[in-house]
Amino acid sequence: MAPRLATVPESHRVHLDVREGLRRGEEPFARIMAAVKALAPDHVLVLRAPFEPVPLYDVLGKRGFAHWTERHAPDDWSVWFYREVGRRTVLDVRALEPPEPMVRVLEAAERLGPDDELEVRHERRPVFLYPQLDERGFVHETDEPEPGVVRIRVRRR
Amino acid sequence: MASPPAARSGPSPLVPLAYLTCAASAFLAAALGIGWLAPDLASHYYQPRVLALTHTVTLGWITLAIMGASYQLIPIVLERPVWSERLARWQLGVLAVAVLGMIAHFYLGTWPELAAAAGLLAVGIGLYLLNVGLSLRGFTRWTFTARMAMLGYGGLALTMLFGLALATNRVRPFLPGEFFPTLHAHVHLALLGWVTPMIFGVTARVYPMFLLAPMPGRWPCRLQLWGLAVGLPSVELGLVGVRGLLVPGALAVAVAAGSHAWWVLAAVRGRKRPGLDWGLRFALTATGFLLPAAMLGGSLAADLLSRPRVAVAYAVIVLGGWVSLTIAGMMLKIVPFLVWHRAFAPRAGRERVPTLANLSWPWVEGTAYALLTGGVALLAVAALVGEVTAIRVAAAVLALGALAFSLVLVRILGHLSPRFQKTPAALVA
Repeated sequence: MAPRLATVPESHRVHLDVREGLRRGEEPFARIMAAVKALAPDHVLVLRAPFEPVPLYDVLGKRGFAHWTERHAPDDWSVWFYREVGRRTVLDVRALEPPEPMVRVLEAAERLGPDDELEVRHERRPVFLYPQLDERGFVHETDEPEPGVVRIRVRRR
Repeated sequence: MASPPAARSGPSPLVPLAYLTCAASAFLAAALGIGWLAPDLASHYYQPRVLALTHTVTLGWITLAIMGASYQLIPIVLERPVWSERLARWQLGVLAVAVLGMIAHFYLGTWPELAAAAGLLAVGIGLYLLNVGLSLRGFTRWTFTARMAMLGYGGLALTMLFGLALATNRVRPFLPGEFFPTLHAHVHLALLGWVTPMIFGVTARVYPMFLLAPMPGRWPCRLQLWGLAVGLPSVELGLVGVRGLLVPGALAVAVAAGSHAWWVLAAVRGRKRPGLDWGLRFALTATGFLLPAAMLGGSLAADLLSRPRVAVAYAVIVLGGWVSLTIAGMMLKIVPFLVWHRAFAPRAGRERVPTLANLSWPWVEGTAYALLTGGVALLAVAALVGEVTAIRVAAAVLALGALAFSLVLVRILGHLSPRFQKTPAALVA
């Protein structure tokens, strides 16, 4: 087990067992995503499944989640999904029409863990976005690494 | 690279929305008034009621719309916070009273009172220029848009002083030279010194943003800038006495207009956005009116055509076709964004919120597009022919178009109501 996970208290573990539902033929994806969405930044999701849910690794990886997998039996798996510490996500919103860049940035910012950083690449300084970030407790820095590219780094305060 | 100051509290959407709502009201009033003034429009343009209509369009619709848009675009395009939004609100009150006063006194033909209203208008415009000037203190990023905006602000100040002089001249004559060339100089100072640079400058920034297109090359921008910088003083001097400068000045302006049209076409061709919404269709169709505008303007400058009806048709094509349709298109982009920002931005990222497409009303927008573009073209032809009945028919088409356009805006603004804000999911669905 990843050292960090061993220190996660039980109160910060969200357990979701989809084995029974799968046996009944239910699709568990919506339940899993709902659990992920509701997951507090310092909580982990412990998913119990009858097989290794490989496609989920990629789906949740894009949302900033790392995973640790434990095989109890051929039809009994536990996968711990947790936010990577200090993970840096790059989001390019230059090819989007307003207000889609703001929506994408705020969605990504809301998923940031305590030590994560979101790097946004924008065409201009998003003056309507800054107050939203301020109000939600994010800190941000803006610079222009090259002409025509505005870079905004966003972290939780 | 050093960061320019950001708007810490963020620009308020309500300030530009207030201006744009007043502007749209003036547009509707003007469109409804055209049919009523058809006999006047079929004869000569220099009549009190036609002047009232013209100033409803130029001051009430065009100027208030540009000012409102600038209070949104100064933070976005020029990346400077507005110095005082409170001053902007007071300024709107002063301008609304002044514009209403000018329209009323033009209509009644009461010149001393008109001069007083023009004085109040000068105060309102002075407040705007003060606010803009203080917002841009220490500004160093002299992009094409910034240069055009500066030209526009200078043009607005000169137009205001010129108009004030004309209004005073009606009470105490002091201006030298013939009256009509002086009047034409005032009109073209407003058009080429204020409205045109603002449209050229703003579209250079926002069309690529909305079309998802790369910025086209630099030379069309240079031609637009130099065409206006050379053309405007030449046309003005040509109109007030140095006749030899009028045609070269008109040619320089035509080069600027042609470069702008070429630039817009290049942006459309290079766009990544597959479809065009009605706002963009309005704005792009407006650019098409530049060709007949340049042809008629050039013909008037060269005295190939000189009858008052031609001047009215020219005004319809320029003010109703190019300028008004551009503004209408931009409003269909700007107003939904401002409303969305006010109503839904605080929830974005936390829950599913509507897109701008969810706020639109495509079939009514399409109806407004068809009626307004068709109405302007019909009105230009009817004014050229000088047929009262034809003007009334065109005016009816325009009025219906303006009503449809107003309905769209009212519906979008309705999303500011708490009822919609509480149930964004219903909009998304």
